[in-house]
Amino acid sequence: MVQISSVFKLSLDPQTVKQWKRFRSIKRGYFSAVFLVFLLLLSCFAELLVNSRALIVSYDGKWYFPTYSWFISGDTFGLDYDWETNYRELKQHFKEQDEGNWVLMPLVPYDPFENDFSNTYGAERPSWETKHYLGTDTAGRDVLARLVYGFRIALGFSLVLLTCSYIAGIAIGCAMGYWGGAFDLVFQRLIEIWNTIPFLYVIMIVASVVVPNFWTLVIVMVLFGWTAMTWNMRTSTYKEKAREYVNAARALGSGNARVVGVHILPNTISVIVTFIPFSIAGGIAALTALDYLGFGLPPPTPSWGELLRKGTQSLDHPWIVWSVAIAIIVILLMVTFIGEAIREAFDPKKFTYYE
Amino acid sequence: MKRVNLLIRSFIVVSLVWSVTAHAESDTDVDSDTDDSDWFEIAPEDLLPEELPENLHWETNNEDPEFASPDAIRGGTFHTWMISFPKTMRPVGPNSNGYFAGTLRPLQFTPVAIHPNTRKPIPMLATHWALGDDGRSFYFRIHPDARWSDGERVTADDFVFMLQFMRSKNINDPWYNNYYTERVTDLKKYDELTFGVRGADAKPYIEMLDSVNLRPYPEHFHELSDAWVKDFNWKPEPTTGPYHVDVVENGKYVELARTENWWANELRYVRNRFNPERVRYTMIRDMNTAWLHFLGGELDTFGLTIPEFWHDKADTDDFKKGYVAKYWYYHRLPVPAAALYLNTAMPLLDDKNIRYGLAHSINIQRVIDKVLRGDYERLPTFQLGFGPYDNTSIKPREFDLNKAKEYFAKAGFVSRDRNGIRVKKNDAGKVIARLSFTITYGRPIHTDRLVVLKEEAKKAGVELKLELLDATASFSKMLEKKHQIAWLTWSSSGFSPRYWEHFHSANANVTQNNNVTNTSIPEMDPLILKFRASTNLEERIGLAHKLEQMVHDHGAVIPTYQVPYTREAMWRWIELPDWLGTETSGSLANTQATSQGYSSGGLFWINEDKKKEILALKNKGEAMEPLTIIDETYRIFPSEDADEAKEGE
Repeated sequence: MVQISSVFKLSLDPQTVKQWKRFRSIKRGYFSAVFLVFLLLLSCFAELLVNSRALIVSYDGKWYFPTYSWFISGDTFGLDYDWETNYRELKQHFKEQDEGNWVLMPLVPYDPFENDFSNTYGAERPSWETKHYLGTDTAGRDVLARLVYGFRIALGFSLVLLTCSYIAGIAIGCAMGYWGGAFDLVFQRLIEIWNTIPFLYVIMIVASVVVPNFWTLVIVMVLFGWTAMTWNMRTSTYKEKAREYVNAARALGSGNARVVGVHILPNTISVIVTFIPFSIAGGIAALTALDYLGFGLPPPTPSWGELLRKGTQSLDHPWIVWSVAIAIIVILLMVTFIGEAIREAFDPKKFTYYE
Repeated sequence: MKRVNLLIRSFIVVSLVWSVTAHAESDTDVDSDTDDSDWFEIAPEDLLPEELPENLHWETNNEDPEFASPDAIRGGTFHTWMISFPKTMRPVGPNSNGYFAGTLRPLQFTPVAIHPNTRKPIPMLATHWALGDDGRSFYFRIHPDARWSDGERVTADDFVFMLQFMRSKNINDPWYNNYYTERVTDLKKYDELTFGVRGADAKPYIEMLDSVNLRPYPEHFHELSDAWVKDFNWKPEPTTGPYHVDVVENGKYVELARTENWWANELRYVRNRFNPERVRYTMIRDMNTAWLHFLGGELDTFGLTIPEFWHDKADTDDFKKGYVAKYWYYHRLPVPAAALYLNTAMPLLDDKNIRYGLAHSINIQRVIDKVLRGDYERLPTFQLGFGPYDNTSIKPREFDLNKAKEYFAKAGFVSRDRNGIRVKKNDAGKVIARLSFTITYGRPIHTDRLVVLKEEAKKAGVELKLELLDATASFSKMLEKKHQIAWLTWSSSGFSPRYWEHFHSANANVTQNNNVTNTSIPEMDPLILKFRASTNLEERIGLAHKLEQMVHDHGAVIPTYQVPYTREAMWRWIELPDWLGTETSGSLANTQATSQGYSSGGLFWINEDKKKEILALKNKGEAMEPLTIIDETYRIFPSEDADEAKEGE
């Protein structure tokens, strides 16, 4: 409770208002942030935009909403099979029948798994007619659908990773800075030792023994990723600990938890916030790299790294590698812009070397 | 027991198509102080008799047809390529089992070879051979003219030396050390040109002959010592075959030269073969670069088995103007057993109805038609390509959703869950089982094929989860029998199919063997043993047909696809006999004395006059008639669809 109210107070803080205003004034960072949040929200509802299941089917006066529902077999709509309806064919079928039934398909009527070989072998060029706006990959899967779902997974992964490693990193870093002494010394050495373990090898070993899934990857990466944050938190806490207000709080009888949680943490928030965008970018890049090397999420999970590998392996189908390369560049560039803007906004000195 | 263990282990090593070449790569330290022959012991009953047995029935073969063209022209240099440079010129020892071993080892003749069309033994280094009474010994008479490429005579001493050599710790190759003590128990010289070899177990005639058909090692050349591995790293051996290594230009190329006045020039099955005077293997590190070298005329031939090459890349001006020919040649070699192997020890998969249902839910044809561009063929049976042993009456279970539904219903799976996967419910309506299986595999390149199977299986109400592991890890999982379904290809070799290692109950539910389906059928066991023990060809063929049918009926193997052909591009100055190749030609342009046991190589020749002519035409830009030959003489399953597809080329 204490922390929530302090955050609330913080948001009304004139200093914060000033920082926010400064952030807004840096246009490319601000618009990147708006756009990225927009993309994030959109990707939460990707099923409504990119999906092989129809949004609405009107059949014999009854409406169906297959997107989030149970699978609906073909015979429900008068087709002669009992597996999942192919809604694109159903749409065509209804059109030919012309009995007032209709199907509303999402913008991109493909899901990231199905193999569409209707027009060619394997990879198909981008085309408006087939609605493969970015073409298909070598297994006939829609590149755009895989990009969108891959983005959602990568971003989700990155956010989970960030939350977990920040909680661990901030807690331990604060403790090291706050208590200092032997505790600090021991943890410093432990972290140094821990950091020398080659992280990529651990992932490779894990991937060769079990099929890594979302959570095993998060766990392994948190295990090796929390240390980065500790150094910064340790220094900031050390600095803040020596300030008068901390002494005052202590003199008033505040316990350790209150001093750290209510007084020190809010004052180090600028350090944390400036790191967040880069951590997100790092998370996305790490997952993409792992997938590219084949140690990431198992097939057939849609992923940018896997698309990138497919693309570079079949340069005869350049639309694969182009789509994903541009997507990666745009996203990472936007995150960098945001990071820059935040750093600028939180900088206590108005004029920095960056200007 | 130790022997069985070793046998199994060696099977595993040999059988793994994609396994890293395991046995000869080991760099185990060897204690060189020990006396070289002290480490093993051969039981007296495993030794050959002191005197040559008198009642031997000496055989030879001068009746089978020749298969080389009398039009062949001797001469010229044949240019081909290799993807990496060999690490050594030694035939054994550390690093010797690399890519180039496939070129170095067949430079040597063996006492006999197998006729590539009739599949009968033919004389090579030996003129006569005879099977011993014990069924596991063979005696050979060496050709009196046989010479090493350095001019020395080939004698029985070279064979005796071979055994000593292979058993020596100095070669630093434990795999061969073991093999030549456990599997080859004795080799004895009877006179200058006569010797005998004894193997560990009796086998059918041709298999027995093959297992003791060992190449000699030149005694006058090798000096066995602690330093052998180092000293002989770059000293190519003299050979008994047509070519010997002449030039090794480190990192660039290896050049073979035809031995001058080669002793076997006029042998019945050898004349008119091995025509180029020199063969140069240039190192090119990348396939696409090699392709450019080929188009530049620097390489004479190029393999086109990969669909992308045959369909898309092999369509340049040189092809259109007829300077380069395309060959698609069907052969009848043992077909690697590519299949889905269902682990019958796992719940659900122990039910035959589920296995049949699964087979009808797997859409191999779609993978072949779309991902593999219709180039591969459906594999109907587990083992194929063994001539008369093939049971060609078996039809594979096709993708058929109605049949799948029927079989799953028989197993109690009638309803579907929210994702459309079939489930089994108990009387209270609670779901007690779900048709969800994990496919374990080890090659990322196969993912495209498996995702198609996965999506298609959904229609049948089956969920297939893909488990891609590192190649070694996936194979160990299969050998530990921890998989549900294994996507795996067993390499196939030898002269008859193998059932014991894959289907005998002795190997079921025990880890570390090739029975990855855990098949254990009481009626099958005696037939398998009979098949292994029998030396009667007719009986063995009958048994093989029966066993293959049982494998099919059991339904634990879902065979996938096969590539029963070779495809090659050749500049038109490379000429072939009218019949192009033989029934067992794995490639049309190899210069190997034997490949896969068959003496099929070296039929082509280089026409230097034509080369000048073609290059002149090419300079002027004048076209010739384009040439694409599809030879189906040895195609086992001609299919109408495939023919239509090809006409559209």
